[in-house]
Amino acid sequence: MNWNAVRTAIICAILIVLHYTVRPLLAWNASIDFLIIALMFGAVRMRPGLAALFGFALGLVSDSLSPGAFGAAALGMSIVGFGASWLKAVFFADNLALNGFFIFLGKWTFDLIFVLVGHRMHGAELFMQIIVWSSLSAAITAVAGVLAVALLRPLMEVRTA
Amino acid sequence: MARATRLSSRIDFLLFIGCVIIALVTLVLPLQMREPLAEVLRRSVVAPLVNLQSNAERWHTAWQLSEERTARLDSAVMRGFNAVALQSENDQLRKLLGLGARLRTGFVPAEAVHNAVREDVVTTLTLTAGTRSGIKVYSPVVSPEGVVGLVQTADPSISIAILFSHPDFRASAMSGDGTSFGIVYPHLQQGLGGTGEYLLELRGVPFRTTLSAGTMIYTSGLGGTFPRGIPIGVVLKEMKTAEGWTRTYLLQPSVNPAKVNAVMVLTPQRSPQRMDNVWQMVARVDSATHGVANAGDSLARHAVADSVRRAAADSAQRAAAAKPTTPAPTRVDSTPRRAPVVAPADTAARRRVITDSARPVRPARRDTVRRDTVRRDSTRRDSVRRDTSVRRDTTRPDTTTRRR
Repeated sequence: MNWNAVRTAIICAILIVLHYTVRPLLAWNASIDFLIIALMFGAVRMRPGLAALFGFALGLVSDSLSPGAFGAAALGMSIVGFGASWLKAVFFADNLALNGFFIFLGKWTFDLIFVLVGHRMHGAELFMQIIVWSSLSAAITAVAGVLAVALLRPLMEVRTA
Repeated sequence: MARATRLSSRIDFLLFIGCVIIALVTLVLPLQMREPLAEVLRRSVVAPLVNLQSNAERWHTAWQLSEERTARLDSAVMRGFNAVALQSENDQLRKLLGLGARLRTGFVPAEAVHNAVREDVVTTLTLTAGTRSGIKVYSPVVSPEGVVGLVQTADPSISIAILFSHPDFRASAMSGDGTSFGIVYPHLQQGLGGTGEYLLELRGVPFRTTLSAGTMIYTSGLGGTFPRGIPIGVVLKEMKTAEGWTRTYLLQPSVNPAKVNAVMVLTPQRSPQRMDNVWQMVARVDSATHGVANAGDSLARHAVADSVRRAAADSAQRAAAAKPTTPAPTRVDSTPRRAPVVAPADTAARRRVITDSARPVRPARRDTVRRDTVRRDSTRRDSVRRDTSVRRDTTRPDTTTRRR
């Protein structure tokens, strides 16, 4: 049995559950995106194709609760998941700051795709969302991701092939 | 090896492209087709997550509501505190307005500002009126309850007054009937000793005059500072002093300096005039108010007593109505005892009882029954007499025959 895959699955499940329990409790304007953290953690342990599929699945779950932009989150997470898996060599670096930066980048990219493809905002509002709120949300997500990495490090021993 | 790697890379890329294409397709789908897809997901895979989210949102809402309730409660409590303070301030200001109306002229209203440094015994007050308003040094400071103190320092816009608790305070005083005179001093032993009490001493009362506890003490107007007739306090008890020719009394002041917020400063033009009617009127109004309140209380008490009496009468009636159904041996009252009297054994007596029963009161009926029985006996006696007479008649011949 592949224990690494089991551990990854458990951690991803916990993060997904946190996304639907902690986030509504906090109810911040720029909130933590645990789904992106789960996607990044999962993607670096998968092949890029599987990571894209995982992102697509997570995106569909997210889209199902916001049917106005159904497919936008699936597209964004597929791209982010594939990209994270493709850049996994960078994530292998045992550096929390670097991990935080890539989580920030992943969240911000996802928000960018989601907002642009979803056609929800225009003009100044779109600009504010991308520059201010998405950046803020990405920063908070990165901090939460770094904390999660630090806490779950013993469980997430990624071995290079 | 390289071929396998290339193949897997191609598969990964194809998967990625496939995901992207499907996502784009779902994006461009019409709403009528997107919604059923989302609904299927919500009802199957996402259902537990939706439950989790709804529970979390419920918790969040409950938390917010509880915070709002706490905030509302806090503000209500604050409003309550403010209301109490405002009410007390309003009462004080109303009294002051009443005093102003009675004084008519020669006074300056001022706000009393307490010292920022907390004192166990308040001895000075800063007043928000000064010489510009006509206040001078030694102007008397009064409140609707009585003497507060006198002005010690008068600046153009503010003045500082010493209270009767100040060691330098003196006032010439007299009893309400004007028979006893003395000088009022602050009672320093307890007042300034940190107990927080405000007491005064009436010294120099002639030995021949005795003041009972509860006697009201007023300013006498002899000192020239305070006009005559302002209440100072009430006699608590006589104090033991070393002096043998005068008496000293302990007084409870009419005014609590710690609660004074607004005062009247009497101007020099008003000071020489007597104030007898001003505060006595207050006392009369107060006693009238107490009388009205007491009358209301007694009326309420009467109403309660009436209702209790009515309830007792109702219960007694109810008990009386329920009596025939209840067994007689358990009751000890007079009614069951009367029953055998009303039902005599022989019919003649019963008839008499029925004729007598037209009388209204039952005990009387019992008496008549007794009387009837007596009458019955007398009847028997009559018949016996008659019989004996007959017998006598009949026996006489016999006896005569015997004699013969």
